[in-house]
Amino acid sequence: MNDTERLRVTIAELPLVIQPATTEVAAFAPAGRGELVRELARSADDRAAGRRRLEVVVGGWRFEVTVESALRAELRDRAARSAAAHHSGAHITLRAQIPGRVVRLWVVEGEQVEANQRLLAIEAMKMENEIHAPHSGTITKLYVEPGALVERNDELLTIG
Amino acid sequence: MSLRKDSSSDRSGRPFERVLIANRGEIALRIIRACRELGIEAIAVHSDADAQAVHARAADRSMRIGPASPGESYLRVEAIIAAAQESRAQAVHPGYGFLSEQPALADACTAAGIVFVGPSRDTLAQLGDKLAARSRATAAGVPVVPGTLEALPVGGAAYEARVKGEADRIGYPVLVKAAAGGGGRGMRRVDDAGQLIEAVEAAAREAAAAFGDGAVYLERYVERARHVEVQLLGDAQGTIVALGERDCSTQRRHQKLVEEAPAPGLSNEQRRTLHQLAIEVARTVGLRNAATAEFLLTPEGDFWFLEVNARLQVEHGVTELVSDVDLVHEQLWLACGRPLSERTLAAAARAATPPRHAIEVRLSAENPARDFAPDPGVISVWRTPSGPGVRVDAGVEEGSVVSPSYDPLLAKLMVVGDDRPTALARLARAMDEFEIGGLQTTLPFHRWLVGRPDFASAEGLSTDYVGRHWRPAELVPRAALRAAELAARAAADGRGAAPPGIPSSGASSGSSSNSAWWRAGIAEATERRP
Repeated sequence: MNDTERLRVTIAELPLVIQPATTEVAAFAPAGRGELVRELARSADDRAAGRRRLEVVVGGWRFEVTVESALRAELRDRAARSAAAHHSGAHITLRAQIPGRVVRLWVVEGEQVEANQRLLAIEAMKMENEIHAPHSGTITKLYVEPGALVERNDELLTIG
Repeated sequence: MSLRKDSSSDRSGRPFERVLIANRGEIALRIIRACRELGIEAIAVHSDADAQAVHARAADRSMRIGPASPGESYLRVEAIIAAAQESRAQAVHPGYGFLSEQPALADACTAAGIVFVGPSRDTLAQLGDKLAARSRATAAGVPVVPGTLEALPVGGAAYEARVKGEADRIGYPVLVKAAAGGGGRGMRRVDDAGQLIEAVEAAAREAAAAFGDGAVYLERYVERARHVEVQLLGDAQGTIVALGERDCSTQRRHQKLVEEAPAPGLSNEQRRTLHQLAIEVARTVGLRNAATAEFLLTPEGDFWFLEVNARLQVEHGVTELVSDVDLVHEQLWLACGRPLSERTLAAAARAATPPRHAIEVRLSAENPARDFAPDPGVISVWRTPSGPGVRVDAGVEEGSVVSPSYDPLLAKLMVVGDDRPTALARLARAMDEFEIGGLQTTLPFHRWLVGRPDFASAEGLSTDYVGRHWRPAELVPRAALRAAELAARAAADGRGAAPPGIPSSGASSGSSSNSAWWRAGIAEATERRP
C-alpha cells in the first residue's frame, strides 16, 4: 500500500471534488457536535468499482458523498470522454426532484428559450414551484403535459 | 356516557370519554398526548400512507379514512364523521390545517350530535373569509392593513384595468392574498404593475387548488414589518381573554419559520394595547374556544390587523411555555361547556408582563439552499435534543416516510428560559444535539439565524429578513468541504486502507470535472448526449 494513494471524494450535486492522499485523511478532525456520518447502500457497480457512498450531515446540511480511488476514477473518466467524443451536441434533460403535479407549462417543443426563462411549474406539498431554464437553447423534447403527475427523477423536458 | 355540563371552572374529572383527532403528524400526536393526560380515549385517523405513522400508533385506536391524497382522506368531512360515529367519539378535535377552519366539519359534527372542538360554525364562516374579517375589524375600530375590502374580479370583463387601478391606489409593493387563505398559501408579493396580473391569476389558481375558493384580494406590503399575533381563548359564557402575544416575523414565502413569546422589544403598555385590539376583534365574532389574531407591527409602531385564525396554531407551544397554560387541555374543557379556568384567567391577567421567554423553530423537510423547496424522503436518523427547558413536538421517528402528499413540517423544537438570551443559548445548544439523517431539513437555516447578531438583538425581526440576508451559497461550500473530509476519514477507517489492486499514482490534478448543478429550484439537470 502506497502512502501517496489518493481518494476522490465527490459530493452529489455540488461541483466539489477533493483528492486527499490517504496520509492526509488521518489529519482530518473526527465527527464532532452537529456532525453525522452514515454509510449508504452500494450498488453492484459501486462494489465492483470499490466505491463507497456516505451520507454526511454538517451543521444540518446533508450531503451524499462518494469516495473512491482517484486513479480508478480518472481511468473511468478518460474512457467516458473518449466514448463521448464520437458524439456532439450536448443536451440537458431536466428531471423532477420531487414528486408532484405539473400545473403550468409555458413552453412548447421547438421553442427557443433564454437562460432563466420560466419553463413549467410543479405543485408539490401544496406549493407551486417554478422551474427555469439553466441556459438558453431549444426545447427539443417535452415529456409532460399540464396535469401530469411526476415522480422523483421523471424526465420533464430536454433543452438542446 | 355522561357529558359534564355544569358551569364550574373546576378541572376534576374529564371533559370527554373519547375524542377523535381529525389530523396527522405532530399536531395529532400533541392532541393525543393531551387526551391521555386528561383520561380521554384518543381516536386517531389515518390515510393509507399513514397506517404506520407515529400518530396512528400513539392513539388508543386509529381509523382508516382513505388513500394518501388529502382530498380523499383528511379533507373528507363524511369520512371524519363516519370514523367518529363508528368509534363513538363524543368530540372531534381538528388540529390545524385540513378541515380545522371549515364550517362544513363543524356543521356535520353538530348534525351528528358530536362536539366540534373549536369556535362555532358561524365564527368559522365569518373569520374564514379574510375579507369579511377585515371589514368586521374595521367596523370595530381596529386598524387593518390598507388594501381592498372586496375580492378581485379575476377573469371578469376588463378586470385587468380594475385590478391595476386598485394596486396603484394601494401602492407597490402589494401582496396578493387568498380570501380563504391561511398558512401563507395563495399569497404573492408584487413589486410592479408588470407582474400583477400573472401573480393574481397564479394566486387565484393556487387558492382554488388549496382551499376550493379562488377569491383573492390586495393588501399593502409593508417593508420591514413584524408579524405579531395574540393567543385568544373564549368560553361559552362569553368571556374572552388574551394569553399573550408571539412574534412570528421570521418567514419565507409568507410561512413562519421561527416563533417566540413574548414579542421582543414591546413595552408592557404596547402589549396591553395589542391584546385589547385582539379581544375587540374576537368579540365581534363571539369567539369561543381558541383562536389567534394576527397583526403587522409597522416600523412606526402601529399594529395593523391581518386576520384571525380560528383554531389552534402550529406555534401555540411557545405561549404554553410562557403562560404555563396547556392550551389543548383548555380547548377540550371549553368545548364541553366549562368556563375559563382560574389558572387561565390568572395567566391572562399577567399576559402583559411575561415572566419567561420561549422560542420555537420549525424543522421541515425542505432544502433551505434551494429556496426551501420540499425535500421528502425517509428519515434514517432521528435523535432529538433534551435537557432543561427543551420541548420537541414531533410527528416522525426513525424510519418515517415523509410523503410529498402532506405539509413538510416534521417537528417543532421549543426552548424556554428566564429571558431571551437564555432561551437563545439554550436553542443553540439544543440544535447541536439534534441529529437528522435521510433528508434535508431547515435546521442549518435555524443554526445560522441564531448566530446572527441582529437576531440576538431582535433588530433583525422583520418579515423580509430571510429574503434580504439568507445567502446559503456562501454557507454550503464550507459545510461541503467539511463533509468531504468526514467522508474521506470514514471511508479510510472503514477499509483500513485504499482498496487493493490499484497501482499507486502521483499527485492528481484535483481539478473538478463534476458537471453537477447547484441552483435553486426543484429540477436537476443532467448532461445527456444523443
